[in-house]
Amino acid sequence: MAAADSPSTALRRRDLCSRGIRLAGKMRADVVDLLDAYVEQQGLDASASVAAVEGVPLAAVERWDEQTGTQRLLENLAAYRAFRALLAQMLEEQREQLGEADAGLGRALAAVLLQVSAFAYHLEELLRLESRGIPGEEEDDGPPPPPRLSLFEQKLRGLGVLRELAQWAVRSVRDLRQLTKPSPATAAAPGLAESP
Amino acid sequence: FLASGELVQSCGHIIPESPVLALGSNFTALCILNESCLDFGNIYANQIIWKIKNRLVPKEQYREINRTVSSVTFNDTSSLATPLTCNILADGQIEQNIYGITVTVGLPPEKPKNLSCIVHQMAKYTYVMTCTWNPGRHTFLDTQFRLRYSWPEEIFPDCIPKDVNNSCTISDIQFFVNTEIWVEAANALGKAESDPLVIDPIDIVKPLSPQNVSVSSGILPTVLKLSWVNWISDAVMTLKFNIRYRIVGDTNWMEIPSEDTASPRTSFSVQGLRPYTEYVFAIRCMKEDGVGYWSDWSEEKTGITTEDQPSKGPPIWRIIDASHSPDSWTVHLIWKAPKPFEANGKILQYEVTIRDKSSLSSPLKKYNVTSTNHTLHLPKGTYEVTLIARNSIGASPPSVLLIPASNSKAPVQNLRTLPKHDKLWVGWTAPNSYVLKYVIEWCVMSSSSDCIIDWQIAPGDVQGIDLKGIKPFKCYLITVYPLYADGQGSGQSVKAYLKQDRPSKGPTVQTKKVGKAEAVLTWNHLTVEEQNGFIRNYTILYKTIDGNETVVTVDPSKTEYTLSSLTSDTLYTVRMMASTDNGSRTGPDFTFTTQKFGKGEIEAIVVPVCLAFLLIVLLGVLFCFNKRDLIKKHIWPIVPDPSKSNIAQWSPQVPAKHNFNSKDQMYPEGSFTDVSVVEIEADDKKSFSEQDLKPFDLLKKEKSTSEGHSSGIGGSSCMSSPRQSVSDSDEGETTQNTSSTVQYSTVVLNGYRDQTPVQVFSRSESTQPLLDSEERSEDHAGGADSTAQRQQYFRQNGGQDETNADRPWFERTKQITHANEGDLVGFVQLQISGQSSQPLGLGMEKNTQEAALSNFLQTCTEGQTVRPETVEENPLPVDEMPKSYLPQTVRQGGYMPQ
Repeated sequence: MAAADSPSTALRRRDLCSRGIRLAGKMRADVVDLLDAYVEQQGLDASASVAAVEGVPLAAVERWDEQTGTQRLLENLAAYRAFRALLAQMLEEQREQLGEADAGLGRALAAVLLQVSAFAYHLEELLRLESRGIPGEEEDDGPPPPPRLSLFEQKLRGLGVLRELAQWAVRSVRDLRQLTKPSPATAAAPGLAESP
Repeated sequence: FLASGELVQSCGHIIPESPVLALGSNFTALCILNESCLDFGNIYANQIIWKIKNRLVPKEQYREINRTVSSVTFNDTSSLATPLTCNILADGQIEQNIYGITVTVGLPPEKPKNLSCIVHQMAKYTYVMTCTWNPGRHTFLDTQFRLRYSWPEEIFPDCIPKDVNNSCTISDIQFFVNTEIWVEAANALGKAESDPLVIDPIDIVKPLSPQNVSVSSGILPTVLKLSWVNWISDAVMTLKFNIRYRIVGDTNWMEIPSEDTASPRTSFSVQGLRPYTEYVFAIRCMKEDGVGYWSDWSEEKTGITTEDQPSKGPPIWRIIDASHSPDSWTVHLIWKAPKPFEANGKILQYEVTIRDKSSLSSPLKKYNVTSTNHTLHLPKGTYEVTLIARNSIGASPPSVLLIPASNSKAPVQNLRTLPKHDKLWVGWTAPNSYVLKYVIEWCVMSSSSDCIIDWQIAPGDVQGIDLKGIKPFKCYLITVYPLYADGQGSGQSVKAYLKQDRPSKGPTVQTKKVGKAEAVLTWNHLTVEEQNGFIRNYTILYKTIDGNETVVTVDPSKTEYTLSSLTSDTLYTVRMMASTDNGSRTGPDFTFTTQKFGKGEIEAIVVPVCLAFLLIVLLGVLFCFNKRDLIKKHIWPIVPDPSKSNIAQWSPQVPAKHNFNSKDQMYPEGSFTDVSVVEIEADDKKSFSEQDLKPFDLLKKEKSTSEGHSSGIGGSSCMSSPRQSVSDSDEGETTQNTSSTVQYSTVVLNGYRDQTPVQVFSRSESTQPLLDSEERSEDHAGGADSTAQRQQYFRQNGGQDETNADRPWFERTKQITHANEGDLVGFVQLQISGQSSQPLGLGMEKNTQEAALSNFLQTCTEGQTVRPETVEENPLPVDEMPKSYLPQTVRQGGYMPQ
């Protein structure tokens, strides 16, 4: 956080946060729209319950308000890297299943994928500003590649990914807003952040 | 020997092969001959010549590097063209082509500049980004442009422009990530990149304008509510708005303050509007933070505010007609309908209230009117008129007009006008007293119709207003009345034009009077429609046919002018010109001729001449009067008494004649009824004298006894005209004495029967006794012409006349003798017989007389009056006829020469 003292760094962080908040907001809106299209396209029930997607940190977390900024960033980064991989896999499966028949859904998926990538880039930049090393993607790719799933399972997993992404988009907005606040928690954060 | 083609193909080549060269750079090419050709054809590098498109390159640019290589150098590639060939002069003269290359000259691409991008929202979720740049100079080469963009860890596909080289559109746009955008340009001579543009596409969005705009009126008459739908989600961007509006028919837009619409919303209530007014609205949006572009304006929507009660009373004025009765007025109340922003609704009616201020007890009179005028017949006095306009919501404040008995207050002063573009400014100096307001009346003056008054009210604190709707070239009569709290000032008027022009026609001039050296010209004033401006003067231009034109300027109030110093008896052309401040117009030409004589000149000549003539005549008369005896002596010479002459004694017929012609015997009353004319032929003088007169036949009977025919003695009697003779009974006595025809003959100097003529008077006029004797011998009188002539004798039978059968008859004889040189006239003798006192000729038909006379004149060349009984030959030839003098009775009105 030493670099946070620099005015340019503060400006840069504020800009990244602001842009990240808006990106997360748009991402949520797009994911919600995409969910509707996906459910309809895949012939799923919108109310169907889906088990937690493997490899994706849950957006819901206890004692969220006690997290440090770096923790938030790291959790976000891990989640969005996971989403990036899952969405890329979904896009691939989508193309395999439908070919170019439903280019709209594919474009929407690609757009969300781009937004996820962009948001991950925002998080990495913020972490750099925090003077924290960016964890390697290989590290985070801890979970082994998912086993080969049936088509229906793929659809359900896709539904779960999008739902979780929508949740994360909401949480990311809150996280980034929290980062922009000069709250006392931030001052205490290093202790907490460094404790793990 | 080898074929030439094979020789060329194999004898050398040029390096570089088909180069692409930068324009303006230097360039060196080498032509390398094959070794085989050196030996075989004796071809060496010093024989090489270079050509550009068949144009020889100067040898100064050649360089022989060795025996097989020749180079050519160009300092500026702009002088190059295709192809560049290497040739050789075989056998010293024959030019053979060795090799040729194509040279392409161009420029490397410039760095693209001014890269800018904009993101257009195409649909709710569709955005495209279009970037444009300046490609730089023309390179003359095929140059590729590509738009590139990337995220820090993501590179996107390039955008290749189609058909253009300065713009490209990207359809896959992601917001909220800084994107680096740049342009690459590349051709055979190089590659260039623009400066990168790093931007978040969300900051360059031009959103779609708000959709489904609607306008609804609220409860308040000054508010309209605007609603719309935004086509961009809040997740992408939040918006701010611009709202503009205008009154329908107006062109000026008003705008809602931007701070009122700077937050995201989908509706807005516009306040401060006019009641009952239709407004047009439009709205646009952009990103809330103001970074980006405004959308286009939305489609226009209209809405009408609700009604409100009229905010202002109608302006009211009056026109008073006092001509019908001395004690009463016809008051035309006129008012203007409130302007829409004052009416605040549809005016349903006007309420007019009249209060007689001179009589407090008189009741108020109220009228409800739907038109904008009302006519009242009121006794002269002071009235207060109150006017209220009413719509469905309520009534306006009252407008009050005081109509005083007389406009006795102070008027405005120094009333003046000034044209200002399309308006006419009217200014005045206020009176000293406090003025409530002013009324300005104006109307177009016309010669054919009444002045239709328009009017306007101005506040009391102004001293000038602009009149609108004023037409150019029209004469306006403008009147200003000051209105006081207790009365009204008299009106002051001024005439004015918004714009003047030259008159539409010139005056028609004509002469009122033309003299010898002056002419009075008159003309009519031009009508006010023809003037087109204030007539500043009239100009009279006049000239003779070949003379210079003279110009006279005349005051415009005049309609008459006298041209002086004109030349007499000369044709003048005059025309007239009317002039305004903006030009002149000439009327038609008018020509007139001055008189030859001036006024009184003719009189000055004629009168003296006449006077002189009269004087001469008078002197002549006086002279004659004084010399009358002498004249008489000359005119009527004393004739010796024939009875005492030897000739009388000599003539054998005379005594018988005398006896026969005794008056009593000759004309016994009632017995002499017939007059016969006997024609006697005279062969010649001699025979005439010798033969006897034969009895004559009656040739003609005269119906009218009052007509006489000339006869008598002498050669000229027949040439006289018949005249009517009237006798009067009053002169009966005299007539009695002279009733007989008395003829006197002059014996012409002629020989008788070969005798030597002796100039003697055979007969003459003498005194009355002489006449008696002469009458008796007159039958002998007569003569013959020197040539053979017929002699007529006539006889009148008065008894045959029905009218005068019983009346005294008369006989007239006329004898005209040609006088000698001293004699002037012949005289006519009238004989009236008996006691006849009646104007015998009254019953005579003149035509008959003239016919008879005509006949007589035709047949008679020399008459001879004879009695029926005395048909005797006149022994004297005509030539010998002496002059005869006939005494006569001259009666006023009755004496007629015959």
